[in-house]
Amino acid sequence: MDITIVLRSIFSAVFLASVIRISTPLILPALGGLVSELAGATNIALEGMMLSGALAGVLVSAYTGSVWLGVLAGMLAGFAIAMVLAYFHLVLRTDAILAGVAINIMCSGGTIFLLYVLTGDKGNSASLVSGAVPNVTIPLIKDIPFIGTVLSGHNILTYLAFILAAVVSLFLYRTRFGAHLRAVGENPVAASSVGINVLRTRFVAFAISGVLAGLGGINLSMAYLTLFQRDMTAGRGFIALAAVFLGGRKPLGTLLAAVFFGFADALSNQLGSLKIPPQLVQTIPYFATIIALVVYNIKRQAEVAARARRFQEKHLAETAAAKAQS
Amino acid sequence: MKALLKSNQAREILRIFTAVFVALLIGFIVTLFVSEDPIQAYRAFLLGPVSRFNRFGDWIEESLTLMLLGLAIALVFKAQIFSLGAEGQMAMGALASGVIALWVPLPIGLRIPLALVGGALAGFLLGIIPGYLKAYLNANEIVSTLMLNTIALKIYEYLLTYYIKSPNAGYTASDTFPTEGILPTFVPNLSFLQGIRTMFVNQTNLTVMIYLVITSVIVVYYLMYRTPFGYELRIIGSNIKFAGYGGMNTKKAIMLATAVSGIFAGLAGTHLSMAIHTKLIINITAGLGFEGIVVALLARNNPLWIPLSALGYGYLRAGADVMERSSDVSREMVLVIQAIIILLVTAERIFPEVRRRIQARRANNTVEPTSQPGS
Repeated sequence: MDITIVLRSIFSAVFLASVIRISTPLILPALGGLVSELAGATNIALEGMMLSGALAGVLVSAYTGSVWLGVLAGMLAGFAIAMVLAYFHLVLRTDAILAGVAINIMCSGGTIFLLYVLTGDKGNSASLVSGAVPNVTIPLIKDIPFIGTVLSGHNILTYLAFILAAVVSLFLYRTRFGAHLRAVGENPVAASSVGINVLRTRFVAFAISGVLAGLGGINLSMAYLTLFQRDMTAGRGFIALAAVFLGGRKPLGTLLAAVFFGFADALSNQLGSLKIPPQLVQTIPYFATIIALVVYNIKRQAEVAARARRFQEKHLAETAAAKAQS
Repeated sequence: MKALLKSNQAREILRIFTAVFVALLIGFIVTLFVSEDPIQAYRAFLLGPVSRFNRFGDWIEESLTLMLLGLAIALVFKAQIFSLGAEGQMAMGALASGVIALWVPLPIGLRIPLALVGGALAGFLLGIIPGYLKAYLNANEIVSTLMLNTIALKIYEYLLTYYIKSPNAGYTASDTFPTEGILPTFVPNLSFLQGIRTMFVNQTNLTVMIYLVITSVIVVYYLMYRTPFGYELRIIGSNIKFAGYGGMNTKKAIMLATAVSGIFAGLAGTHLSMAIHTKLIINITAGLGFEGIVVALLARNNPLWIPLSALGYGYLRAGADVMERSSDVSREMVLVIQAIIILLVTAERIFPEVRRRIQARRANNTVEPTSQPGS
């Protein structure tokens, strides 16, 4: 009997809509994580960038009264933090992991500190009247029975997240700079030898990463909720990073992985009401990520081996041909 | 050669002190802007931990946990394995020890050793996984450990909520452990030490863990510098390809490194549950695993330096607590100071760059071109 309730609730339009809503603050930073990952630097500071974006958005929108200035400030905050990370990692040669850990500690502490200084409250920004990014109902689609509920009425940032997934994909695989970025990640020495500016490329990758993570933070504090809470990212930056790996370091894969994480989260909320331990449901995506990581690496090793074999065969054939000629 | 090593070490120490000084200075400037009474706030921060005996106890307790975590991290980072799994291993260690401390009906003399072994074993078992995945399946240890952390924390939360929490408790925590399950105070029960003993018992949670931590430091040092395993770790850390060419079984060493590292992270968890909290609470690890990274880093992954760096780092944390309680500055400012310290200490280029310029000027040469940034 329980299982029918579960199935019915999973396939309800409201549930699917909530999956999309919950996935948004994962999709945005995951895309950011993908870009820096492909440029050759695992960005574990997504968490910190999101937090700064979230707070900057709330503060600026509260003090200026403009939602869009808030959004801009959130993106800029993510960008600024990303530049600090990039400068330390790329110029001063701090290890990317340690610098990332430092940035996360700094942002977690710094946002709470700033919040306390400005509002006298360490928990949340409820005393400030901050803006909310509006929701949109899509004409026509909203009137289709099931699909209307699932797809219409979401936040602008939710639609933006899906559009950006396509944009990032086009950028990485259809533009010259995207190709350069991937080349730098794959083999910096080779990329440098053909005249690609490795340093600049990585700076840009970090910048994109920061802006996207900042947007993810904005989504949390100005759409998902309409206030800032201390440590409100609650590990989403790390989940986003996991989505990059679960998605096989590909844009579509990353998008789907982020939605899968959102699905598991929404499901655990749903199951909580049925007395199925939500904690256990929440572990599923993490197990899935580890499995995906392993599968990806086995596949990659096989690919490399196959390539090496092909090369050897070709080489043997060529030497044989050369011998035959002489 | 020896003189060179000495001067390198001196530079390293100078560099760490400079970083700490700069970070504290930045913290002070921030305090000037936000506090009504910045001098009082900073005094509380800098002198707080030694101003009262119980605060002194808090500082040492915190430092003991950090020492174990620092050892755990140093073991893997020495081999350039960036395992961030201490957080989860610590949670599992706390859980295993806690369960034994609560329910295994043994006298104190057996229950506590068993609980310690339980905590260490839990960390060890969880630690094997990322090592195996990295060594044999080439899975990125950063990602796998971050995933395992969340899994471990969720499992901890699940077991605590559904099985360990006493049914009539209003909040999610276990019962306080029985005396047989709490680590005894470190002062031996001798008649002429009775006065000191009472003082420590009443004001601090300083336990026999002190002896275990000191032993751990020596064991890790011995392991790292006096055993083949430690040699392999260090070679893998400096050049993994070379280690492979030299005929080393790097895979086994990597797996063993993360597992042994887990032992100490697990024991840190034991310290949390059986000494500091004396019960299992929700979110018991509270991000300490990541702080262990900083401790190892400041000690340059050298086990003998870890007690010092843990005491220093623990001092900042304890001072932050005092500052928050006795002034209008929140403790989170210290997190920013900590982050600045990490960034300055790890920025390899800052000091060499300065030094290189000075040397270049001295030799009356032009500055040599900087190399291309790598990965």
